Amino acid sequence: MTLQSPTAGGADASAATALYLYGVTWADAARPQAGAGVHEESVEAVPYRELAGLTSAVESTKVPAKRRDLLRHAEVLGTALVHGTVLPLRFGVVFENSTTLVEDFLSPRYAELVQLLRKFEGRVELSVKAYFREEAILAEVVHANPRIARLREATRAASDTSTYPLRVELGERVAAELQERTLRDRQALLDRLSRLAVDVQVDQEPIEHQVLGASFLVERERVAAFDDAMNKLAQEQAPRMHFKYLGPLAPHSFVGLSAEAG
Amino acid sequence: MAIATHGTASNYLQRAPSPSGLADVVELILDKGLVIDAYVRIAVIGIELITIDARIVIASVDTYLRFAEAVNRLDLTQTEAAGLKELRDGGGNGDGKAKGMAEGAKDALSGDGDRQKERAERG
Repeated sequence: MTLQSPTAGGADASAATALYLYGVTWADAARPQAGAGVHEESVEAVPYRELAGLTSAVESTKVPAKRRDLLRHAEVLGTALVHGTVLPLRFGVVFENSTTLVEDFLSPRYAELVQLLRKFEGRVELSVKAYFREEAILAEVVHANPRIARLREATRAASDTSTYPLRVELGERVAAELQERTLRDRQALLDRLSRLAVDVQVDQEPIEHQVLGASFLVERERVAAFDDAMNKLAQEQAPRMHFKYLGPLAPHSFVGLSAEAG
Repeated sequence: MAIATHGTASNYLQRAPSPSGLADVVELILDKGLVIDAYVRIAVIGIELITIDARIVIASVDTYLRFAEAVNRLDLTQTEAAGLKELRDGGGNGDGKAKGMAEGAKDALSGDGDRQKERAERG
């Protein structure tokens, strides 16, 4: 790393002029994390009543962050989640010092934060992504749709201008079939998995070959059941889909504060 | 927490306890989580904006030609016979045997599908 560490001379906190905030947890669940934070600073709790902000020192409010720092932010929250409920902050929120953290955030938002911590008590986020395997799903489409199969035969030999309109039609029909299969299978996956979840957030961005991108809020004691369901689904669908399954995570996709300024 | 990858083949289910790739992390902590209005946010540098490696589906001639090419590249030798037979038997309703996983789930589709379609058409 090319960072000039402000701690190199042992100056530690006194050299730092700002406070980076990772998340909010119950004070009795807050644990320090040595060297785990952004720029390898140690994570410390700033308590306020029964709440605590998980923070680390940063040089100023204008520090640059690198990809490692993004990963550290996520890891700090992951570690905190092991010890208890945590409300994750978006990357990059910095306060001048612990006094402003309390006065500008923990105190004015106290009731709301307590309510959120209670809401997410014992619950974690599981992220699921499912993708079609391109060859398998295209073969399925060709077999299912005779018009597509015929167009394929007609355009395979020559990909010159003579077949251009046919190739456009072929592609358009393939795209329509893929979209239909995506929506149908997405719903089927959601039907299977939502039963095990308290809440679900579905990503609606149409990403190529992505059948489902969703975050599920799940009771901790049902995570094992969710794991089983995922394994079963993935096994069943293995010839035509592959899955990415992430978690347990802090409830990133489900937290939100009221817009009104505190 | 249990990290389970039951079954023998693991390539159909990648399971991770926490995000390890940049794309996952970016999605999780740059797009989601609590935001505090009007609060200073530190600058993120050194991260190319190609954070999403996935291709957004856009309805365009280029996309169609790409799909056509992909379909033409397919090696269907193992299943060709069945496919051609199906063709000879006629039936132009596109309702073939490969039903995927969700027969009958169509009814359950909500307005989201329409929204997505509109978006693709606009694109």
